[in-house]
Amino acid sequence: MRHTLSALGLILLAGPLAATSAMADTFRFTAIPDEDESRLVERFTKVADYLEEQLGVDVEYVPVKSYGAAVTAFRNNQVQLAWFGGLSGVQARRLVPDSVALAQGAEDAAFTSYFIAHDSTGLESGDELPDAVEGMTFTFGAKTSTSGRLMPEHYLRQRFGADPEETFSRVGFSGDHSRTIALVEAGTYDIGAVNFSVWDAAVEDGRVDTDKVQIIWTTPSYPDYQWTLRGDADERFGDGFTDDVRQVLLDMTDPELLASFPRSGFIPADNSMYAPIEEVAENLGLVR
Amino acid sequence: MSLKYGDRYPGLLRGTGIGARLARHSLTLLAITLLLMPLADLHVLSRDPWAELGRIAQGLLMPHFGSIDAPFKALGLTVSVALWGTLAGVVLGFPLALLFSRSRLVRAGCAFVRAIHELFWALLFLQIFGLSALTALAALAIPYAGIFAKVYAEILESTPSAADDALPQGTGRLSRFLYCELPLAFGQLAAYTRYRFECGLRASVLLGFVGLPTLGFQLESAFREGRYFEAGAVMWLFYALIASLPWWAHRRLLLPLTLGSLLLLGPWPQIDGALLWRFLSTDIWPAPLLSGDLPGLVAWARDIPELLPAIGNTLLLGLLGTAGSLVIAMLLWPLASRHFGNRLTRAAGSGLLVFLRSTPELMLAFVFLLLLGPSLLPAWLALALHNGALIAFLVARHADSLEPGMPDLPASGRLAYELLPRVYPGLLALLYYRAEVILRESAILGMLGVATLGYVIDDYFQTLMFDVAFALLLITACLNVLVDALARRLRPRDVTHDDPCLRQEQLSYPR
Amino acid sequence: MTAEVLVELDQESLGYGDQVIIRDVSLSLHAGERVALLGESGVGKSTLLAALRQRLGQQAAWCPQHHGLVGPLSVYLNIYMGRLDQHSALVNLWNLARPLPRAWQEIAELCGPLGLEGMMKRSVSRLSGGQRQRVAIGRALHQQRDIFLGDEPVASVDPHQALGLLEMIDQRHRGSIIALHQRELALTHFDRVWGLADGRLVLDAPSNRLSLADLDALYPSAVASLPESTTVQAQEKSATPEGSLRCHRGRS
Repeated sequence: MRHTLSALGLILLAGPLAATSAMADTFRFTAIPDEDESRLVERFTKVADYLEEQLGVDVEYVPVKSYGAAVTAFRNNQVQLAWFGGLSGVQARRLVPDSVALAQGAEDAAFTSYFIAHDSTGLESGDELPDAVEGMTFTFGAKTSTSGRLMPEHYLRQRFGADPEETFSRVGFSGDHSRTIALVEAGTYDIGAVNFSVWDAAVEDGRVDTDKVQIIWTTPSYPDYQWTLRGDADERFGDGFTDDVRQVLLDMTDPELLASFPRSGFIPADNSMYAPIEEVAENLGLVR
Repeated sequence: MSLKYGDRYPGLLRGTGIGARLARHSLTLLAITLLLMPLADLHVLSRDPWAELGRIAQGLLMPHFGSIDAPFKALGLTVSVALWGTLAGVVLGFPLALLFSRSRLVRAGCAFVRAIHELFWALLFLQIFGLSALTALAALAIPYAGIFAKVYAEILESTPSAADDALPQGTGRLSRFLYCELPLAFGQLAAYTRYRFECGLRASVLLGFVGLPTLGFQLESAFREGRYFEAGAVMWLFYALIASLPWWAHRRLLLPLTLGSLLLLGPWPQIDGALLWRFLSTDIWPAPLLSGDLPGLVAWARDIPELLPAIGNTLLLGLLGTAGSLVIAMLLWPLASRHFGNRLTRAAGSGLLVFLRSTPELMLAFVFLLLLGPSLLPAWLALALHNGALIAFLVARHADSLEPGMPDLPASGRLAYELLPRVYPGLLALLYYRAEVILRESAILGMLGVATLGYVIDDYFQTLMFDVAFALLLITACLNVLVDALARRLRPRDVTHDDPCLRQEQLSYPR
Repeated sequence: MTAEVLVELDQESLGYGDQVIIRDVSLSLHAGERVALLGESGVGKSTLLAALRQRLGQQAAWCPQHHGLVGPLSVYLNIYMGRLDQHSALVNLWNLARPLPRAWQEIAELCGPLGLEGMMKRSVSRLSGGQRQRVAIGRALHQQRDIFLGDEPVASVDPHQALGLLEMIDQRHRGSIIALHQRELALTHFDRVWGLADGRLVLDAPSNRLSLADLDALYPSAVASLPESTTVQAQEKSATPEGSLRCHRGRS
């Protein structure tokens, strides 16, 4: 342990030296698309170029792998702006005081999740989840995904009054929405919970064999993805910067840029819209 | 052991000879494994793994290099992190090696830091330094410092003392070290450091799995999203990197490479002192502990529901992995040995072993997981294949160095009477050395969705509950230290070297 | 013998830890005396030499069995190590990077007669067995002590070279004790013979009063006519023809 600490000390000494040379005042942002992470840097660099042009500051895109990493980067001030999911946005705003939700996707005000099932289960689409799902296998998406985990778990608990682990014979986390679809399609899991926009896009592109996997239930709607900016942005980039960023985001109309998220456009949002998400997260013990 | 007139006829597996002892040993291990196997979740969850396997194979055979995002940047960063991480490990580990035999504290500290996997360290440093080069370097340097301290100390201790004894009495400690121990051990120290650098390359790739932009970053998303042509391209890039190691990591290129790669490292973090202090002083400690509320601490611990099953699964997977490695090693080593088969089978066998041992377990497990679903089975397969191949490779090299006394025996006789008795003690020793590594990997495989400790740890990192994550890391480390101690007690004596890849030719075997 | 006594043992038992290897040994080395130490392998010659080395401390130069050299380092550095205690660690460190001019000069002068000329920069691991032997002797000579203690220092050189090396040792020391296997050499080139057998000093006599037959008693297993040892004896005889040794007997 002492060794660890001394090593840490060494690193601490080296750190500030290295830090002085880095990043003067570049505005950094991150985003995880809810599907298709190929050419992540290339696509989001275009978004960065747009922001740079509109805001008049250097803008850089920082690629991240998971919601957790995005929150960490936001908290460490490695990024000042982030495209978060509902839950990760709540986590981030709790960790960084005064940070604000600026805008959400046009689709995010009333977001839903689909419960999808493999054909062999014989489950039919209906107004509520059938009792027959009990004892089957089930997969969420990422562990801190709002549409892939938080809200589906919330509605599952409401419906069956028990932990998902008790309802199903096996509960897994696929890691992301595309994977959830693939796993249910392959029959690895009987049922999965997936973000509606990812499913719709996959069906539209013909990437899903709908003979093998179908929607069996749609959740009620809830707010999801949003842009969140750190509270100290004005201090660092000048008064009115927060409003500028919000406006620039709302003004983003280029379909090529919007396709990276993928959204049809952005609409205003504020922190209070996400109170229901926060409440559910607290109930499930995902934030404290 | 000559069978003298009057020797009693031995019963099955009786006898006090080293052969009988080792056979009993191995069979006990296998028996325990078989006994505990029903407790493990080994279901094949996928209904059609073959179609997926076909797509993966197709991707590997027909990689699409154009689809990789900035391959040279990822490649450069992978190498830089491995190089500087290893170097920092040497700088931290070498002084500790000199204290190693003298200080119990140093030994315990080193055992602790190396018991935690590079990826877990990365998750921890990610919270402090974010997605930066510093996170990557620290994640490699700290466990490697512990490993270097131990292995360097063992190498230095085993240097012949004759030259040291010949020095005039009254020669200072430092002078003795500079003129005797260091030059005599230098070759071995350098060889081990080189091997560790190769491990560092693999670890550096894997850091991409937690989000640092090395090769693994794209590899993980490409595999996860089923873009196997892209994943295949990254895999080939990785194999090319490992295979060309002797050329680009040549002794003469090392200095320019080291200095040049410094430029590729980055980004460097801005360190927020307050945040760092909060993390170290508050975030990682349970709140009841900090307020001195003991009953609260018990309640806090009870709130970690998955703890005991996760520990059980980790130990079980470690055991399964160890036994599986034994079986795989026994099956595979003759394939690559000059004593069996023809040139074609040997080339194929060696190729298979090199392929399996250069692919990190995590990567293998990741692919098997896609195929079979998240039970312990894919993790078991990955551990057994990777470690089994690694051991088989070394055993085959050892067997190649042996001259059979009766070369005309049929292959089976050569195996059973000439070679196996000579290589088996070494094989078993390597297996027990490897047991610690296998357990470490068992824990980390949880990050892929297998229900071991890594799964729970990742869970709590994702939900930003660092106190629980940190406590679980401590538990993981303690398990590892315990298993290491157990394995050391069990392993055949006289086989002295710590790391299986260390000094391949120099394995010494019991007489 | 009235010469000054350089070192003396009186009824002492020697060994490591609790294990006694030589019992009740009494002996003394006088100034100007050359002693050959004989006995079978494993009888305790090295133990006795180690004990004497301990006793003599800074007076004794030491040339161990199997040379005890550092293979990766150069001939120069290996010989320099004889005086490693005379310099500070910092100087020694500097010397690794760049030889000290004075030490270089001294060692070059030593290397000439040792037959190591032009090899000072070569690493010891690339030398032949005989050359290594001479490096090990060179290191002991470089120590510049009164008494030379050698554990088979001429085992891996040919008889002619052995004589030259023993000559060099004689010239630079006031006394010497050298463990040997060549019995003829012990008679021709030494003043006194100490013989060890069965954990005791069984022979302590001037060499001119001894014959080869007397020395044979020290090698009981050789006398037991085992085939290997007879061939060794035969080799020894053919390798050291008595005629060529005679003329070197005694000091000039």
